[in-house]
Amino acid sequence: MLAHVDCNSAYVSWERVFRPDLEGVPTVVLSNNDGMVVASSKEAKALGLDLGRPWFELRPHAQRLGVTALSSNYELYGDMSRRFHAILSRFTPELEVYSIDEAFLRVSPRIARDPDAMTALGREIKDTLRRLIGVPVCVGIAETRTQAKLANRAAKRLAAFDGVCVWPATRPEWRQQLMSRLPVSEVWGIASRLERRLVAMGISSIADLAAADPVRIRKAFNVVVMRTALELRGVPSIVAEEDRTGRKEQLIVSRSFSEKVTTRDGMRQALSIYAQQAATRLVRHRQVAKLLTAFAGTSHYSEQRSFPSVLVKLPAPTADPVELTRAAHRLLPLIEDGGRYARAGLMLTDLRPAEVSQPLDLFRFAHEESGIAELIDKVQRKEGRDLLGLGYGGMRPGPSWQMKREMLTPRATTHWDELATVRA
Amino acid sequence: MLALSPRPVDEPTVLMLQASPVAVACGFPSPAQDYYDGPIDLTEMLVDDQEATFIVRASGHSMTEAGICDGDELLVDRSKRPRDGDVVVAVLDGQLTIKRLHISAGRVTLKSESTEHPDIVVPELSELVIWGVATFSIHHLRRP
Repeated sequence: MLAHVDCNSAYVSWERVFRPDLEGVPTVVLSNNDGMVVASSKEAKALGLDLGRPWFELRPHAQRLGVTALSSNYELYGDMSRRFHAILSRFTPELEVYSIDEAFLRVSPRIARDPDAMTALGREIKDTLRRLIGVPVCVGIAETRTQAKLANRAAKRLAAFDGVCVWPATRPEWRQQLMSRLPVSEVWGIASRLERRLVAMGISSIADLAAADPVRIRKAFNVVVMRTALELRGVPSIVAEEDRTGRKEQLIVSRSFSEKVTTRDGMRQALSIYAQQAATRLVRHRQVAKLLTAFAGTSHYSEQRSFPSVLVKLPAPTADPVELTRAAHRLLPLIEDGGRYARAGLMLTDLRPAEVSQPLDLFRFAHEESGIAELIDKVQRKEGRDLLGLGYGGMRPGPSWQMKREMLTPRATTHWDELATVRA
Repeated sequence: MLALSPRPVDEPTVLMLQASPVAVACGFPSPAQDYYDGPIDLTEMLVDDQEATFIVRASGHSMTEAGICDGDELLVDRSKRPRDGDVVVAVLDGQLTIKRLHISAGRVTLKSESTEHPDIVVPELSELVIWGVATFSIHHLRRP
């Protein structure tokens, strides 16, 4: 038995911990560079401020609607997320961190036998998080991950659940009704692009998918969709993805610029910074990469569109910032001076653990053992990101396209000079 | 690991055999080494529940007699149940406010600790939101 816990409008809820004046106020949080809505409070959703709406469209109406918009305070969210997961781990020896604001918990067999005990556990999780970090959550408990996600959705939608839905303890007719009302695209793991094909097969609601013949589903789609169908019936078929937040198959460092980059020199600086960030992340995860893709792009709306990219096969798997920077700069010949680039990035693929892929000394980069990446990481962690950098990535002042966060709240839990103020 | 990464023989190998956190002199072993368990950790001493504890900064002069001055940092532990006499952070008019909680005969008062500031009587208990219980005040004795 698994419990799925996630924060209600996580970013907004985490902001409200230090901004109680925003309780009940329609509030949205904007993406990088204040681009679009990435989190929307219940009140804001009621006004139609859904996720993905561009901020420039909403800005003229925000004041009239009484909407408060905030820039993404990643420092705060990172810390609140850490607290959220740490508190959840008190309830289970097996916590599966699924994302910044949600997790699966294994429910002990003793509790799983008793529906009342499961409900009590769900309530305790919800009340504890509210009390300890001031964050509202919903809890779904069920036999499988897919069902637990579904139960959580029910807990969010129907007030009668009061935030906690234990699927096996829910009346069968309620369950059936819920599943027949929700479109199949609302199931965890069913991409909306599959919806049309499913509907064509007569599968339009979640209930339809749960009732479908798994073999037929596998033939028409693939084993992944079949597993989802089985999970809806309570047959555990999806295994935990190991350490989703840590090691990954690929690593992407990419941002859109707040101001267009129009020169090759500007691009060189951007790529240098990204290469360093990529190196830092590889080192932290003890990984090395074999392939690097560097890319840039103009806005999709711009008149002269251009999306240059280059794939570089690194001479040997590496996490070395000097090598990665050198590889990233291979994109530069494709950059046109005068082009108006809106974003750029690096993608590192063919990642492998650093320990097992040490090449023979012959193939190592001369400076690799000197620990440049570790040194930069250490200094930047201690003294801030701007103090030390490698080559073009370390130039001051920093580039003008750095992230724009005009409506940023104080980083109250990570920065000593930005602590929340209490009136005395 | 060693087998996977052969090294030339002339490269010096450093073996770290550190058994004790204290530097050990060659002659006599440090008499302290059996006793030393590391320095005092303020977080360990002052914080019961790390995930539930937040640091905030006081602004204003209404709590000076409770030892909280303008600019002092406060440790606020949200896991503690507020009791009569606790110094608490409460939400008043949407603002985080620090006062002493006074409960008697069904009456709740948020008391200031300074003669110049009035107490606040809470008319409806259900409307009072206690954000957390303040456990320590970090008062700066020497300003930089």
